[in-house]
Amino acid sequence: MKLGFSAAEEDFRRECADWLNGQMAGEFKDIKGITTLTEKAERRKEWEQQLAAHKWSCIGWPEEWGGRAATLAQQVIFAEEYARAGVPGRVNHIGVELAGPTLLTFGTDEQKKRFLPGIAAGQTIFCQGFSEPGAGSDLASVRTKARLEGDEWVVNGQKIWTSLAHISDWIFVVSRSEEGSKGPKGLTFLMMEIDQPGIEIRPIKQINGDAEFNETFFTDAKCPADSLIGAVGEGWKIAMGLLAFERGVSTLGQQMGFRNELNDIIAAAKATGAANDPLIRQRIAKAEIGLQLMRYGAMRMLSNTDHSKIDGAALTYKIQWASWRRGLGELAMDIIGQAGEVAEGDAYEWSMLPNLFLYSRSDTIYGGTNQIQRNLIAERGLGMPREPRGDV
Amino acid sequence: MDMLLTEDQLALAETVRDYLAGTHGPEVLRRLDADGNRDPAIWQGLVDMGLTGLLVPEAQGGLGMGLVDAALIAAECGRACLAEPLVDTAFVGVPWLLARGKTDQLSDVAAGRITLPLAHSINPWVADGDGAALTSVDPLRNLCASANDNADPHLLNLGALMSAAQMVGLADAMLHLAVEYAKIRTQFGQPIGAFQAIKHQLATCAVAIEFAKPVVWQAAQALQDGRASTAVHVSHAKVAATDAAMLTAETAIQVHGAMGYTYEVDLHFWMKRSWALAGAWGSRAFHLKRIDDAVLGGTLAIGPEHTFA
Repeated sequence: MKLGFSAAEEDFRRECADWLNGQMAGEFKDIKGITTLTEKAERRKEWEQQLAAHKWSCIGWPEEWGGRAATLAQQVIFAEEYARAGVPGRVNHIGVELAGPTLLTFGTDEQKKRFLPGIAAGQTIFCQGFSEPGAGSDLASVRTKARLEGDEWVVNGQKIWTSLAHISDWIFVVSRSEEGSKGPKGLTFLMMEIDQPGIEIRPIKQINGDAEFNETFFTDAKCPADSLIGAVGEGWKIAMGLLAFERGVSTLGQQMGFRNELNDIIAAAKATGAANDPLIRQRIAKAEIGLQLMRYGAMRMLSNTDHSKIDGAALTYKIQWASWRRGLGELAMDIIGQAGEVAEGDAYEWSMLPNLFLYSRSDTIYGGTNQIQRNLIAERGLGMPREPRGDV
Repeated sequence: MDMLLTEDQLALAETVRDYLAGTHGPEVLRRLDADGNRDPAIWQGLVDMGLTGLLVPEAQGGLGMGLVDAALIAAECGRACLAEPLVDTAFVGVPWLLARGKTDQLSDVAAGRITLPLAHSINPWVADGDGAALTSVDPLRNLCASANDNADPHLLNLGALMSAAQMVGLADAMLHLAVEYAKIRTQFGQPIGAFQAIKHQLATCAVAIEFAKPVVWQAAQALQDGRASTAVHVSHAKVAATDAAMLTAETAIQVHGAMGYTYEVDLHFWMKRSWALAGAWGSRAFHLKRIDDAVLGGTLAIGPEHTFA
């Protein structure tokens, strides 16, 4: 067994690193190191376009749609170098990693032509309309309604936790198109333009003071009849396919970002003297071990040539990294002590380590809570009986 | 020794709990957050109940009670997420001044005319002092820079003890919020509290909180009696209460799901007070090291005859 990247892959790594470091030292120096998804939104959109201009915006896509047909390993390498270079998160992550692959898998040729070039060019920003106030972990209980009237879909209802809806151009919406249907049946997956009178976006303020996500209200919102992906009533299948993308490749390259965070914590421990404390040393050692577990786990998943199996492995990965990072936030606060309580200025805005602590409170919740992950691992992975469910 | 609290102690704590529950609910926290953090009417209410004078001797116009009583009230302050500087002034500052024989300010404290924001070298900043203001993670905490060259261990023990006491109350309140939410939030056609994945976690918090409480009372009694082992008891209390509050914060936000990560759900006030107090008056690492040093360094008698000392 050989765990590691090939020489060709290491060459690719250098190419990624050279370009990204050049950008972060040059034209896009002003966005280097930003840790929130909301800061300098306009510059972040320009950054998406810069990525596109150099064919780095969607490297996993086929070449005919602006990608590089990059292998899974190359995509992970790019994600790692992206984090290592201190490049801020992608504001079009959802377009590139979720909407794009969904269109490539389930979309018609006409739909691919309509949407993919804009996403690849960094011109069309997407957000995701899945969760609702009454449909969180129980995603299949969505109540937002869609009805076909003539040549238009008319949508009414509410979505919540719509990350970056306020800077997005399009939203994909899972809606109930069959009157009286329940659970995963009777749902339809629609692509809707956000800039219209029937859609209202209201920000949700988070505990760290930032407002990355929103409530999205649909009041007779409209889209053309051919805006659906898949068939009428197939929305659940499309949504589940998309979530497999979310839980799959896009998280495997995260360890480099985690490495940066742990390095910052180690530097803080040295600066404050906490590094002399045997208990802190032990916890740093444990955090390091946890990071290595993820690193080698991800490489093992990448080494598996049968990528149809990556979904199951990625399910265990979510709870592993989310719990590790939540603990990392707590370690950071224990190291910096009371300094973690205090903002740098008058505003309720947080520097890297306190923000890591606050933000990592959400890691074990979004994208499937730890409880849902444990259910999935137990029921799908271990074949245990399903938890009893009430009427849905 | 007797680990039972007296009827009087329990009755006093209950009175304070009822008063704060009736006058200092979540709507007050939201109002204070939106409008300047402090309200003289709330402070006056505490003064009128005699709480600012709880530890002040009767000769100076106080009630002359002890640290166990004060720790029980501090826990109630945590439960209500009280932001006024009652605990720091009346339960940390007063006993420290008393121990040093300084009684000249105490009648003013009892009457609510002055507060005692005491700086200590273990805290880079002080709450409700008059230095340059800082923004605390806890929106209701008025933190400021202050000279902090005081390294007195008695003051440290008082501060750590009362932080621990507040944290068990904070943890109780967060557990209550999470339990109530788990009863009304439905997914998969039933309240999420019906799922073992949820109820087991909350049960684990309850265990951590209930085991932390007697350790806090014990530390209060040890500090009151001036026992040689006081520092270890206080550190044990601070670690146990911090563990319980951190675990309960982590669990309560998880039970609330994404709503718990929002600013509009009240839970964040209690979580943030817990996070702030976890780092004040010595982090867990500091207090573990004090225990560590005492156990391994031979300053703490750990033979079987001392097990329940």
